[in-house]
Parts: sequence; structure tokens; C-alpha cells
Amino acid sequence: MAAGRLSTAIAMGTREQRRRPLLLILLVVFPAYVISRSIAETQATPHTIGLPGGDLVLTSMKELHGAVMAGTAIAFAAGLCGVFVMQSALAGDRRLVLAGYRAGEAVLARLAVLAADTALVVAVSFAVTSLFFTPAAWVPFACAGVLLGVIYGALGALLGALLDKLAATYLMLFLVMTDLGIVQNPMFGDGTPVGWAAALPGHGPVRLMVDGAYSPTFHAGGELLLGLGWAAALGTTVYLLLARAVGTDAERMA
Amino acid sequence: MSAFATVGGSFVREHLRAPLTLALLVVIPVFFVLIFASVLGEFADALGGTLAGGAATSAISAGWAAAFLCGALAFFQVSSSRGADRRLAAAGLGAARVALARIAAAVALGVVVSAVAFVTLWARNGIAHPWHSAAAILAFALIYVGVGALVGALVSGQLEGSLLVVLVFAVDAFSGPSMTSSGGILAHGPTRDAAKLLIAAGTGQSSSGGEWGAVAAAVTAALAVAFGAFWLAARSRSG
Repeated sequence: MAAGRLSTAIAMGTREQRRRPLLLILLVVFPAYVISRSIAETQATPHTIGLPGGDLVLTSMKELHGAVMAGTAIAFAAGLCGVFVMQSALAGDRRLVLAGYRAGEAVLARLAVLAADTALVVAVSFAVTSLFFTPAAWVPFACAGVLLGVIYGALGALLGALLDKLAATYLMLFLVMTDLGIVQNPMFGDGTPVGWAAALPGHGPVRLMVDGAYSPTFHAGGELLLGLGWAAALGTTVYLLLARAVGTDAERMA
Repeated sequence: MSAFATVGGSFVREHLRAPLTLALLVVIPVFFVLIFASVLGEFADALGGTLAGGAATSAISAGWAAAFLCGALAFFQVSSSRGADRRLAAAGLGAARVALARIAAAVALGVVVSAVAFVTLWARNGIAHPWHSAAAILAFALIYVGVGALVGALVSGQLEGSLLVVLVFAVDAFSGPSMTSSGGILAHGPTRDAAKLLIAAGTGQSSSGGEWGAVAAAVTAALAVAFGAFWLAARSRSG
């Protein structure tokens, strides 16, 4: 019974997304444009970066942009999806709860829609990246992209639940540019993030991405665990927060 | 006139009710000018552009901050307030005055954002041509009021609209003068002329009358587009 309700809610959410062709087009065009233009425009200037594990690698800015740009595009698109999926959930899902759904079921259906949008952005980002850049190890490289999508999708959902949509959009831009665009970005400075960068949510996934991009052997176990920890903590917080908000609002309306 | 002023003031307060929004309207320009500008020169260098030196990168960062903030703001103004604006128009204010009040609110917030960006820029580097810089930063803001309002008029979904504003911003930023080595059709974004003015003002060079004219034309076109977008949003179904 519960599984049936959940699958119905997910099917409704998917149908709602299909009715928004512009969204699907933008979720393809946005990462495709940003990644392909960035890589195509970047010069092959030599640059040395530090890998997890301490090795130094001499690469080019063009290769490096290919290695990290997908992460920035994924984080920003997934974050915005999180903001607005959460706003829709808060506006509409209390009715589902009043109609007999458990709050958790309504929330899981919304999170499934967010996961589908994020998966589309991740798939497009890696497809476009592969036209310009081949990582040394695809598995950690792809895992890093998925982790960035989950972490920033959840961060967006959290901001969408707590803030006005304008403030949430501004903050999303601010977070992605600060964390991924500057602090973790190996294109700047000496190619290795500063010590306090580890406190930001993008640190684990970006270091995992750099490891997968340049090293055929895996050295980023700690960074993978850090990213998984952020994803689990943020995902759980979003689930609990939204279930509470939807359930409480529905009780108030009943 | 008094109803117009009251409604315009309400539209400004509508966006400043959330203290965090107000804080971000101040923090993001400061962030762009102080932090983002510090890596922008390296970034432009990687892209084969010639945007070098603290004055140029700080100046262009100030313009981009004003552009993004005002674009998103104008988009949400159109997108979030169709119902309320139609009711205001139908209640006697009229679609044209609602649209003018919306533009007045967007311009007022654009002036605030531009002022923060300008003061930060001044405090950081000093500015060779301060009034030219202030006008160019404000031009970025007003051009994006037009971009955001146009997207809001054409796109009803808020996720789609905000992604589209960001996409336009990304295309525009990449195609800015001195950012890349390539030209072509993508080298003519909406703020290209304003960016030339801003870089020139930041680095102490003068700009020609033709460049000022091009920026004035872009701003006028953007505000006309914004008026059309707000007017359409307030007018539809109002009878």
C-alpha cells in the first residue's frame, strides 16, 4: 500500500517535470554550454597542481578546466533545482498529507524528482566533458560529480526550505562561486587548496575529482568519506526538515 | 502620484522584508569586488584574454555583481507578482502605473547594489574616473533589470527562469571584452559596451562619445523592455 502510494507520487512528480520541456532543455543546455565554452576557450598554459596523497602533477589550464568545470556546473544546476523543488514541496505536498499520505512518502517522492533532475545534469556534464577531457580513472571522477550533485542539491533544498526564493538563489550563487569557483579550484594559486578549504562542502568531492582526473590509482579515501559524510548529513537534514514542515502544516490545516 | 509612490515603496519593501536578502544585496557585491576579482585576472589569462591588473578585474567584478543581483531580482519581480499586479491594475492604478512602480523599485534596488559595488571598488583600489565607473556599474544593473524582466515575461516557471537568467549571465560574462581571445557572434553580450566603459574608467582611460552612446542605448532599450514586461504582467486578464 505504502509502496503503491510512493510510486504514484513519484509518477505524478515525473509527469509534472515532463510538462516543463523548457526545464529539461535548460538542464541540458546550461551545463553543456558552460562546460564546452569554458574548456574550448581555455589556453594550454602549463600549471602545476597537488593531488590527494601529496604528488605534484604538471598539467595545462585547458586540461584542468576540463577536469573541474563539470563539478561547478553540476553544483549550481543541482542547487537551483533543490531550491525550487523544495519550494514546490512546501506549497503542494501538505495536500497529499491531508489526503492520507505519510509526510515521509510525500517527501521521498519530491526527493526522487530532485534526484532525477540532478542525474540528468550529471549525465550531460560528463558526456560533454568526455568530448574534451579523458580522466585517468572514470569511477572516482564520476563519483565526485554525483557527490557534488547530491551535496549541492541538498544544500539548495535546505536553502529553499529556510529562505525566500530570491535570497536562496543569491546564496546558491555565492556558495558555489566561493566553494567550487575559488577556494577548491586548483586553477588558481599553487594548485592545492588552503587548509581551511576542508571545512567547505565541496572539498571532498573536488579533491576526489582531481584524483580521478589525474591519477590511475586511488588516493582519495579520506576525501571520499568526507564527501559521503556531507551528503548523508545534508540529505538526512533535508528529509527530516521537509517531513516535519509538510506534516506540521497539514496538521494545522486539518 | 502618491498612490504611485506608496506602491513603489511597497515593491521595494517586498524584497527587503527578508533581512538575509538585504544582507546579500550588500555582501555579494563586496564579495565580487574583493574576493572574486582576486582570481579573475588569472581566469581571464587562462582563457587567453587580456583582462589584467587589479583595477580592471575589480571594476568588471563590480559590474557583474550588480548585473546578476538585478537580473535575478527583476525576474522574480515579474514572476512572483503577476496576480498581485493584475489586482492592483484592476483596482484602479492601471497597468502602466503598476509597471512604472515596479521599474522604480527595481531601479532603486539597482542603485543600492551599484552604490555598494562602487564604494567597495573605490575603497579597494581607488578609481581613476569615479563618475564614469559609477555610471557604468549602474548601466550593468539597469541592463539586467531588462534581461530579468524579459525572462520573467517569457518564462513562467521559476526554476526555468532563474536558470535562464544565469545562462544569459554566463554567456555575457564569457563574451565580455578582454575575457577571452575569441570573437564572433558570442562576443556581443548585452553588457559588452558597459564593460568597455567600466574597464576604461577603472584603468584611468577615457571613453569615446560613441561608447557612451552605445551604453545609453542599451540601458534605454533594457528599461523599455522591462516596462513592456511589467506592463504585460499587470495587464493580462485585468480586463
